[in-house]
Amino acid sequence: MDGNRKKGLRRLLLFIAAEFLLVALIVWLFDPFYQYHSPFFGMEAVLNDRDNQMPGTVRNFSYDSVLVGSSVAENFDSSFLDGTYGCRTLKVIRASGSVADLLYYLEMAQERGELRNVFWCLDIPALEASTEVTLRGGDTPGYLHTASILDDLPYLFNKEILLERIPAMLAYSRAGINTGGHAYDWSRGKEFGAAQAMRAYDRAGIVLEGEPQDRDFTDKKGLIGDNVALLTEQVSSHPETTYRFLIPPFSMLWWDCAYVNGELEERFYALDSAATALLRFENVEVYCFQQEDWIVCDLDNYMDMVHYGPEVNQYMLERMAACGNRVEPEDWEAVLAQLRELARRISQEEIYRYYP
Amino acid sequence: MLFNSVIFITAFLPLALLGWFLLQKLEDPAWAKAFLIGMSFWFYGYYNVSYLWILLVSLAGNYAFSFLLHRIRGGGFRRGLFACGVLGNLGLLFYFKYFNFFIDNCNFLLHTDISLEKIALPLGISFFTFQQMSFLIERYRGNAPHYPLLDYVFFVSFFPQLIAGPIVLHSELVPQLQGRQNRRFSPEGFYDGATLFILGLAKKVLLADSLAVLVNAEYDNIAMLDTPTAWIVIVWYMMELYFDFSGYCDMARGIAAMFGFRLPENFDSPFKAASVREFWRRWHMTLSRFLSQYVYLPLGGNRKGKRRQILNLLAVFLVSGLWHGANWTFVLWGLMHGLAAAFETAFPRARFRHEWMNRAATAVFVTLSFSVFRSDSLESAALLWRRLFTAGSQGKLLGVCNTLVFPENYALRKLLDMAAPGLTNGLFLSCFLLLTAVGAALLAGGKAEAWIEKKGHTLGGAFCLATLFTWAFLSLSQVSVFLYFNF
Repeated sequence: MDGNRKKGLRRLLLFIAAEFLLVALIVWLFDPFYQYHSPFFGMEAVLNDRDNQMPGTVRNFSYDSVLVGSSVAENFDSSFLDGTYGCRTLKVIRASGSVADLLYYLEMAQERGELRNVFWCLDIPALEASTEVTLRGGDTPGYLHTASILDDLPYLFNKEILLERIPAMLAYSRAGINTGGHAYDWSRGKEFGAAQAMRAYDRAGIVLEGEPQDRDFTDKKGLIGDNVALLTEQVSSHPETTYRFLIPPFSMLWWDCAYVNGELEERFYALDSAATALLRFENVEVYCFQQEDWIVCDLDNYMDMVHYGPEVNQYMLERMAACGNRVEPEDWEAVLAQLRELARRISQEEIYRYYP
Repeated sequence: MLFNSVIFITAFLPLALLGWFLLQKLEDPAWAKAFLIGMSFWFYGYYNVSYLWILLVSLAGNYAFSFLLHRIRGGGFRRGLFACGVLGNLGLLFYFKYFNFFIDNCNFLLHTDISLEKIALPLGISFFTFQQMSFLIERYRGNAPHYPLLDYVFFVSFFPQLIAGPIVLHSELVPQLQGRQNRRFSPEGFYDGATLFILGLAKKVLLADSLAVLVNAEYDNIAMLDTPTAWIVIVWYMMELYFDFSGYCDMARGIAAMFGFRLPENFDSPFKAASVREFWRRWHMTLSRFLSQYVYLPLGGNRKGKRRQILNLLAVFLVSGLWHGANWTFVLWGLMHGLAAAFETAFPRARFRHEWMNRAATAVFVTLSFSVFRSDSLESAALLWRRLFTAGSQGKLLGVCNTLVFPENYALRKLLDMAAPGLTNGLFLSCFLLLTAVGAALLAGGKAEAWIEKKGHTLGGAFCLATLFTWAFLSLSQVSVFLYFNF
């Protein structure tokens, strides 16, 4: 009987080792989070899970330029940039667009060598986000952010990776979804239109008693300054890289919301601080789309207060390629005045086209 | 730390085994004991170090009482000392587990407004308190020696049984610790332990956690259930609880066996019981043993006439109900079992002619009573019972089955969504039937150990066990908590 047990133990350990090896090999080969390598077998990379895939792609993919930004940057077709600027662009996305988080990835990318271009879709709210990196800790699996294989057990031996992510990756690759320049593109199946956008903003429920007073935001100025400093430090320490900052067109709902909450001046202050500081650098180009009232005031372009359809993304890229919407340092004051006038017009006139 | 976690299986357990057996090479076994005690403290304090202080206070207090009982022989002082020890244990348990329940009820009954304390319930406090109380009682009765400190702390804190039992008696563990048989690594013992651990892990991770997906979703949604789905939910909960707790106990016994220790069994095919009293001889057997030895028998057991015996049974089951948790649902659940046991005692002939009918009636009663056990409050238990008996059939089965979303059926789900959306419900229904069938077959089948003994060493058996382990290990990324940790 004891002999049987010894034999049983040997067989058990052997089978467990073989099965673990097989599972690890499958996960390593397909590597849906790109922790170890870019895709094998000529397969196209499927990028549809930004927080899990971002660290791996930054570490292991081949690229010389990056397109960074928040969720409003996800629908850019980065292959357009490749064709226009003759580069290989990797999308680097953080949902919040937090400057500190995006710089975390950017610095990771720069450890591999200098980048040629950084296309940065700069959200105004990101300038008021925390300057602490929020990517690590909490529920985020630690293995994503280390190159070591020692902490990879939850990745290599994970039912969800094996039975969900790998099959989904194969299916998406075959269907050409979230591949090539459309990494992280979430526009498929989404509804854009005024009715959809207005669901995100209850303007009708807001009763204004007189003109809203602008709130005191002295306490925010420090944070905005810190974020701007992070940006300028990045730009100044990589003079060979060309930084193209795109200021995306948030809808008039967003501007009206800022108006009724007395936050307009705060928004302008943030934008002005960043643009003024960045425009001083020779390796920086700033492209502003926020003053494009035909986009901003037409809610059919949006699905909520800030997220616009891919046509707007493409328009921005094409304008940038043609050097349209570029703001020179001497033009900035005029652009800012234009924005102030638009914000006034939105809250006094345009918004009532949708909320009578 | 959880048994079903990557860190436990890949780091803690191998390290503990390695250290234990390497230190056994030293002549003095104290090093190995101290090492494993240290590992047990790490295991216990892994999620919250403050729990460790409570365990240490409890250990120190009980050991001090044991020492004093050793020094003082006979007389009222000894009796008083013993009473202090028992009250100290009960006081600790009362404060951490029942204080807010008590205040809450005082506020309700006396219309007072005493504020509740923020008290976190330490893991497994009921288990280690009962274990130490049993030791103290035996010390007082003169049936247990005063053990050396390391042996005593090892007996209470040995991590496989520390937080959810089985409730081990000193006479079961300490002689094994003091003996020499577990000082050398035994491949046979390791095999027995590893296979039992794998079966327990599979029960917990693959079965109980899968059943819990439906049970948790529907217990949050009781008002929407119709009669058939309400019955499905309570039957699935019964299976979930059994596979969860018996899986835990199998893992505990398996781990102990790897170290060379035998822990008592806690389950013996409980759904084969033909009466409620028999059910309690098969379900959570070490708790039944504790309550029988330290509550039922001291109250007089069956020695003082039937009426007194019935009262004693009611008292035991009320204690059992309260032991499980500070909520009136547990009290009602204990009362139901007490009344059923009292009925069986008062009317021993009131039984069906066929044994299978008695088994079925017992299973139905137990399942119904555990639906109260699972409910958050008496109100939700009452609502569930209304759904069980008066909601009629509203064709909600498919809606309930649609909660069964697992990585295992992901590819098929997606394929059907694209190719034949009409068949997706069929997939969920198949998953439901498969899980029910597997659960029922395991409840009705023989003991797993017998299968291991017979087939585990064969190529097919070893492959099955290895596959179960791999599958369960791959599932550990899912967050799950053992149901019996809160008791």
